Amino acid sequence: MNAYAYLVAFLLAVITDLLVDNVVLSRFYGICSFIGVGDQVKSASSMGFAVTIVIILSSAICWPIYYFILVPAGLPFMDTLVYILVIASLVQAVGLFIKKNSPALYKSLGIYLPLITTNCAVLGVAQSNTDSGLLAGQTLAENFGFSMASAIGTSLGYLLIIVVFACIRTRLETYSVPKAFKGIPIALITAAIMALALVGLAGLGS
Amino acid sequence: MSQLGYLLIAVGVILVLLAIFFVTFVLYRKTPVPKGCEKLPSAESCSKCGLGEGCALNIYAKKEDPKK
Amino acid sequence: MDNIRRHQHQESFVSGIISNNPLFVMVLGTCPALAITTTMEAAFGMGLLFLFVLVSSNVLISLLRKIIPEEIKTPSNIVVIATFVTIVKMFCSAYLPALYNSLGVFLSLLVVNCIVLGRAEAFADQNGVFDSFLDGMGNGIGYTLALCVIALIREILGTGYLTIGVIFTFIPYFRLPVLKALDGSYDYSMNLFASPMGGFVVFGLLMALMQLWNLKKKAAEREAAIAKIHLAAKEGA
Repeated sequence: MNAYAYLVAFLLAVITDLLVDNVVLSRFYGICSFIGVGDQVKSASSMGFAVTIVIILSSAICWPIYYFILVPAGLPFMDTLVYILVIASLVQAVGLFIKKNSPALYKSLGIYLPLITTNCAVLGVAQSNTDSGLLAGQTLAENFGFSMASAIGTSLGYLLIIVVFACIRTRLETYSVPKAFKGIPIALITAAIMALALVGLAGLGS
Repeated sequence: MSQLGYLLIAVGVILVLLAIFFVTFVLYRKTPVPKGCEKLPSAESCSKCGLGEGCALNIYAKKEDPKK
Repeated sequence: MDNIRRHQHQESFVSGIISNNPLFVMVLGTCPALAITTTMEAAFGMGLLFLFVLVSSNVLISLLRKIIPEEIKTPSNIVVIATFVTIVKMFCSAYLPALYNSLGVFLSLLVVNCIVLGRAEAFADQNGVFDSFLDGMGNGIGYTLALCVIALIREILGTGYLTIGVIFTFIPYFRLPVLKALDGSYDYSMNLFASPMGGFVVFGLLMALMQLWNLKKKAAEREAAIAKIHLAAKEGA
């Protein structure tokens, strides 16, 4: 495969995770924060950016640790523990840096950083990148490329969906919703309709 | 490199990661919030699952039932 | 004294099942609730594994609560939970490979499940071993029930059958035709409910039912309070 084919495959992998098999609406990662994000668009986009940084950095660190340290040592089952240590340490280190050096960044991002540790999307991407192992005839470098594509697609997909959802919910506040549906139930029904909208893109990545 | 060599490196890496994890956690808890940000819902009370008062993800703030 | 203790134990056990149900009342642990519940067996299996992780981590954290210094309680909780999740993963991939394949990543995601972390921090860090055991059992059973309710609705409406014996292979394979005949003569199933959209819809409607029940309960309480005030006013006058 030449470089052009690699680029196309990379972009397709990103778009698959971004739209076709969207990480929140189709694979159900990150639902806790998705429901709870409420209707503030600014906090939703801050959360989304923080999650993006953490997902990409943690995937870039966890993949090499798995394939170059855990697998040769015969300890592939330690991946869950190692990944959560990496993710939590990353989040804490970034939080430490922001707390000490940038009050402005802390004001917008700082409160969400501790929540990213328990976000299913971060651990989910890191785990699913290495769970399936090497496909037939795939080199390590190709696997790393697809893992990073998955990480980028997942984080962008999360960011997109969370911001769109927050925008929709701002409008939803002004409508008269039946009392039993106010809050979480109508948010879930809205998410259902969003999920339906993305079904139309099925089959795009293959 | 032998299996044992890789195993020792892996155990070493895991111990280092554990140390980094605990140390960054304690340091993060100990550094004070920057000036001017105290009135925001504190990160400490919103840690891990965001169920403290006034936290962004706390959608049950108005519930009168105890959170336990 | 004994009666009070027994009542407290019962309270922490029962409240985890209905009144403080971790999924429907506290709205925690929603990721697996939407992803695993396409089949009843997968949901039940996930519930059982979740129960094991919750109970064992609660018990161990409660045993260690006096030894671990206050500042590092949270990180050590995470390490304990990750250890038990790894054990459960290894057990599952060895003895129930069909369940392991259908759960996929979500078995590993039990590490960051808000219920497990939340109960560890809120309860096991402060209470005794037996109390933590009961609390874990109650919450685990409540979560399993909640998952099974969603999965039952989604599987019956989505595929028309209730299939058992696929994942738990020691149970004989059995298909209960509810909305779809075994020979295809009638088919009232709606594929929608097996898709992701169906998950959101079922969960949303169940949450709406919960909220309706809560509103009715609050209205009844308000009526009772008003009636009591009127009665007191009448007696006073």
